Amino acid sequence: MKTLKEMLAEARQIVPEEGPADLQRRLAAGEPVAVIDVRDPDEFRDGHIEAASNISRGFLEFRIGAAVSDQTTPIVLYCQTGLRSMLAAKALKELGYQHVINLQGGYQKWVQSGLPTVRDQPLTADQIQRYSRHFLLNQVGDKGQRKLLRSKALLIGAGGLGSPTALYLAAAGVGTLGLMDGDVVDITNLQRQVLHTTADIGKPKVESGTRMLKALNPDVNVVPLPMRITVDNVMDVIKDYDLVIDGSDNFETRYLVNDACYLAGKTNVHGSIFQFEGMATVFAPNQGPCYRCLYPTPPPPGLVPS
Amino acid sequence: MQATEAVKLLLGIGEPLIGRLLTYDALGMRFREVRLRRDPNCPLCGSHPTIKDLSIHHDGGAACAITPNGREAAVATSARA
Repeated sequence: MKTLKEMLAEARQIVPEEGPADLQRRLAAGEPVAVIDVRDPDEFRDGHIEAASNISRGFLEFRIGAAVSDQTTPIVLYCQTGLRSMLAAKALKELGYQHVINLQGGYQKWVQSGLPTVRDQPLTADQIQRYSRHFLLNQVGDKGQRKLLRSKALLIGAGGLGSPTALYLAAAGVGTLGLMDGDVVDITNLQRQVLHTTADIGKPKVESGTRMLKALNPDVNVVPLPMRITVDNVMDVIKDYDLVIDGSDNFETRYLVNDACYLAGKTNVHGSIFQFEGMATVFAPNQGPCYRCLYPTPPPPGLVPS
Repeated sequence: MQATEAVKLLLGIGEPLIGRLLTYDALGMRFREVRLRRDPNCPLCGSHPTIKDLSIHHDGGAACAITPNGREAAVATSARA
C-alpha cells in the first residue's frame, strides 16, 4: 500500500510542472493548449482561469476524450493547490495523453500571481433556452456564451451597416452593446436601416435602436451614445470596449476610428457599402494592416458619395 | 458579415478577416477575397510612424500628414453624399 505522499512523489516523476507565468505565456502566444480545471463545479463557479474547461476529478477519465480528442495536444491541469491535479495528470498520462502538465501551486498561486480570473454568473432558465442552439456548437458552448455575455462591443453608426450588425450581436447575447450615432431617423433610412421603424421618424437613432435591441434581447445592456464620434470623444468612448465595429458612412470617421483603434490597441471590424457593392475586413493592431495601409490617401471630395 | 466577424473575435474562434478584404457584388452575386499586406511606409502602423496621436484630426478633417516618401496620407475633407 502507498501513502498519499508516495503517490504524489510517483506522479511528480512522470508529470512535469509549470508555474502560472508559463501558462499565461502559452495562452498569450495563442498556443494550442487545453486548460482543464479539475476542481468541483462549485469551486469553478467561484472563480477560474478564463481559458479553462471544468471537468471535475471524478469524471476526468470519462470526459477527457470528448474535450481533447488529439492525444498530442498539450494539456494543463489545475486544481486549488496543485495536488489533486497532479494525481489527475498521472491518470491522463496513463490514458495515453502525451503532454500533460500540472499547474504548479494551482489556482491559488495563479490568483496570488495577480493573473486574471473570471467568475461565472449562473445562466437563468430563460438564458439556457434562448442560447440552447449556441450550446450545440462545439466552438461556442456554454463557455463561449458566458464569454459573449461578458463581452462589450461598440457600434459606430446605427445606419445601414450598424443596424443588422447590432441586431445579430444583440440576438447572440453580446452582453454590452454601445450604440453611437448622432443622427435622427429619416424616412429615407427605412428601406435598409432595419433597426428603426416608421414610428421612429424624427427620433434619435440610438433611441429607436436601443428600444429595438432591448426588445429583441433583454439580456443585453445597450449603452446609447447619441453623438457623432469626434477626435475629442473617440479615445474616451472606445476604451470601455473589447471590440469596435465601424459602420460609419464617411472617410473622415473611418480614418479617425482607424487611428484611434490602432493607438488604443482595439480591433476594428470594418465594413463599407456603396450601391450594390460591399466590403468587410478586420483591422487588428500589430497583427495585420490598418485602414491607412489599404487607403493611404482619401479619395478627392465629391468623387465617392457615401 | 461584420456581426459574424465580431462574434468570432469575441470568442477567439475561427479565422478572422485580418489581412483579408472580402468584397461582395450583389448584382453579380459574387464574393472576392483580396490579400492585404501591412504597408511598411504606413504613417500610422509602419516602421517609421508619423502619426503618434490624434492631433492630425484636430483641424476639422482638413489636416494632412506628409509621409516620409512624400505621400499625402490623412484625413479627408468629408465626402458625404
